[in-house]
Amino acid sequence: MAISKIKICNFKGFKGLFTLELNKGLNILVGNNETGKSTILEAIHLALTGLYGGKYIHNELSQYLFNNEVIEEYLQSVNDGVPIEPPSVLIEIYFDGSIDPVFEGNLNTDHATKAEGLQFKIAYNDKYNDEYQKVVDSKQPSSLPIEYYEASWTSFARDSITVRSIPIKSAMIDSSNYRYQNGSDVYISRIVKDLLSPEEITSVAQAHRNMRDGFVKDEAIKAINDRISKESTIIDGKVSISVDLGTKNAWENSLVTQVDEIPFGYIGKGAQCVVKTELALTHKRAQNASIILLEEPESHLSYSKLNQLIAAIEGKYSDKQIIISTHSSFVANKLDLNNIVLLDNHETVKIKDLDSAGFFKKIAGYDTLRLMLCKKAILVEGDSDELVVQKAYIQQHGGHLPIQDGIDVISVGTSFLRFLEIAKCLKRPTAVVTDNDGDIDALKKKYADYLGNNKKPFIKICFDEAVDSGTLKIGKNDYNYNTLEPKLLKANSRNLFNKIFKTIYATDDDLRKYMKQNKTDCAIAIFDTSETIAFPDYILEAIKND
Amino acid sequence: MNKLIIAAAGSGKTTYLVKESLKIKADKVLITTFTDANEREIRAKFIKLNGSIPENVTVQTWFSFLLQHGVKPYQDILMAANVMGLMLVNNKSGFRFNSKRGFPVYFSEADVRHYYFSSDMKIYSDKIAKFAYVVNEKTKGLIIDRISRIYPHIYIDEIQDLAGYDLELIHLLLQTPSNIIMVGDPRQVTYHTHEEAKNNKYTESQIEQFICDKCKDTVTEIDKTSLKTTHRNCQAICTYANSIFPEHEPCDADEKKPTGHDGVFFVKPADVDEYLKRYRPSQLRYSVATTVNPRYEVFNFGESKGMTRSRVLIYPTKSMVDWINDHSSKLAFESRSKFYVAVTRAEYSVAIVYDYKNKTDILGIQNYVLP
Repeated sequence: MAISKIKICNFKGFKGLFTLELNKGLNILVGNNETGKSTILEAIHLALTGLYGGKYIHNELSQYLFNNEVIEEYLQSVNDGVPIEPPSVLIEIYFDGSIDPVFEGNLNTDHATKAEGLQFKIAYNDKYNDEYQKVVDSKQPSSLPIEYYEASWTSFARDSITVRSIPIKSAMIDSSNYRYQNGSDVYISRIVKDLLSPEEITSVAQAHRNMRDGFVKDEAIKAINDRISKESTIIDGKVSISVDLGTKNAWENSLVTQVDEIPFGYIGKGAQCVVKTELALTHKRAQNASIILLEEPESHLSYSKLNQLIAAIEGKYSDKQIIISTHSSFVANKLDLNNIVLLDNHETVKIKDLDSAGFFKKIAGYDTLRLMLCKKAILVEGDSDELVVQKAYIQQHGGHLPIQDGIDVISVGTSFLRFLEIAKCLKRPTAVVTDNDGDIDALKKKYADYLGNNKKPFIKICFDEAVDSGTLKIGKNDYNYNTLEPKLLKANSRNLFNKIFKTIYATDDDLRKYMKQNKTDCAIAIFDTSETIAFPDYILEAIKND
Repeated sequence: MNKLIIAAAGSGKTTYLVKESLKIKADKVLITTFTDANEREIRAKFIKLNGSIPENVTVQTWFSFLLQHGVKPYQDILMAANVMGLMLVNNKSGFRFNSKRGFPVYFSEADVRHYYFSSDMKIYSDKIAKFAYVVNEKTKGLIIDRISRIYPHIYIDEIQDLAGYDLELIHLLLQTPSNIIMVGDPRQVTYHTHEEAKNNKYTESQIEQFICDKCKDTVTEIDKTSLKTTHRNCQAICTYANSIFPEHEPCDADEKKPTGHDGVFFVKPADVDEYLKRYRPSQLRYSVATTVNPRYEVFNFGESKGMTRSRVLIYPTKSMVDWINDHSSKLAFESRSKFYVAVTRAEYSVAIVYDYKNKTDILGIQNYVLP
């Protein structure tokens, strides 16, 4: 009971057909800004509920729902007197084939022999042909003639359907809050309503009616009404006050959700998010499948609330389908990197069978998303390496910071191999900058999967091939001549470094000692200097843009 | 378990199907029938017996069912353009032109667009079952499989109205795990879903024969006894009705309290107005072309199927009159069937408009004389 695939065409950022295959349980959508994460969530919610921005789409049709370029092309064609077909928005939801055979057929862009699902369309309606023709003839439309458009749902069996009959319920949880007139939150009202069984809905409606009747029968109201009708002499009829009998769903609009007696809208944003999610997760109407759409939960949650929320999601996603968009490596790591769906330029990449996922789940602090979202990554061990590599890049590439070119220099501590596993999985260009620590063989063994015959075209392991040695001792231990600092010194001169560090060491060894003890300060000084620095070859190799 | 129940007119077919479907609580049930009138009858019966139609039950006419589940899900296997609905036709559809010799020429099956569809893309009613059948073949059974997964229970009322490719579809449905119950009265064939030559030999509603001949491979029980008692007609009407189809097993009638004017009568055309005034029967006629007294209720024979009236007045056609007088005279199966339907509408009295002579003496029919 889940959605297996969604296809989006011409909706907002998506020009032409975009396809996203979904996991049965959890899906973590990651991607840079403007890659369409939110649009995907909106599209799913719109197709399943008819709601866009908390309002019914029928009253909210506008050209802003359409892809801008598509609109431009269309308007241009009309202005040029060679009109193309008016564009339409299409969202297809594919069920996993176990929900309801009534939705089975071949009306879908897959043209598969059979598939279960539905199409949501915002399309021009033929019945306005006459009026539309005038618009086209005028050759001067400045916007899409949206007044001739209609939103509609059709099952893959070509049966026109209503939102009510869609067997998958969708709950959208985001930071926005759309409210009804009475202040109750649109989404939470939906979630609560979906929680109720038909019998419960009937009894709530009944209770609401009784409340109304009770109001009118109340002595105080009766007395008021008597007085009003006596005093109104001009009007012929009997004047009285009552409660709005309203529409058949009047009770829905009067429902206000409270937490600890406080109206939902007045509790904190973070708590709202947790409550919405929990309610959606406990939703148990067995006959309906449900999907929970969670937009950037980290954006208004403290670390501890976020942990609670993630624990709640983790416990439940076996029987619910969840799509969560996030910019937080912490959220992604915690929820298992194997559930990641990476959006890039409207292409999707899924991460599968990542051995390190278990590690990142336990030690969730690593910036895994930075690796996933950059164009190229340079992995370094710590802060000082990061600064030096950045400096090298700036110097070699005309003053650009690497991040300005989409290249992210990431400190990964000792987790090089785990990050490389992700890079391998995503085929992400990655360079590793590492010390040789005086043991080239050990290093080659460690990176055996990426060197020699196993070399991957997009992964570079950069280290200094030369093993240096000397007599310096730090306490009882030998000084390590094969780390970044001594290699830098080797490439430059003591004079230069004394100048940069504002020191006056007389020997190289003294300078080495200083640099070892003041690693970060030295790196900052190198980063800030206007002097030209010579960098060891392996660093130059790492920052080379291929 | 599949079942075909041969039922008498007025034996409570519809009630039986509605009660059967009310027994099923969770699974989806489809109840389908040929005519709109009978579909309304089924809905009304649900309201009467249950207050509403349960959520798991769908009541749909056969054509509407075929359009939704037989045509649309995979229509583009044959036809990509949108099907705009159904066009009811009484004659062979897909007429192309008249040949020089004046014979009509029809579009061939190869021209899918014009063979199956009207100019405004409505599918012809006489070919809708064939369309579904062909698409099912081409998709290796997706249509039938889908229907059977949607509806574990399929009940078909007035099964005798189905013919041609309808029967082929029934044959396929009988082979699925779905539980199919068909009820019908082979004597009451007033409609044909189409004029297709397919299964022509069963059109004289030998649905029973069809099951026996073609559906041997399906487990289908044929029940001729459960619904053989009419609760509608009095004994005299029942006995006369049995004589219309002597080749069929006779029906029984419940005991009915006499009203003082019971049985089957000839009424002279000159006496019709007075007779109408006195007994207020419903008038039944062959078609709108028949002149009747417009002040009293009137139905065409076909239309009256499924109805119950205390008394009826039948305006027979010429060939019906001949046949009433002499059963060896020729009467088309369809006409005989319509006459049977007309006779079996009444609880107490059936009047047949006929200028009888004093010597006229037909078994089971009394000559009515105004008092």
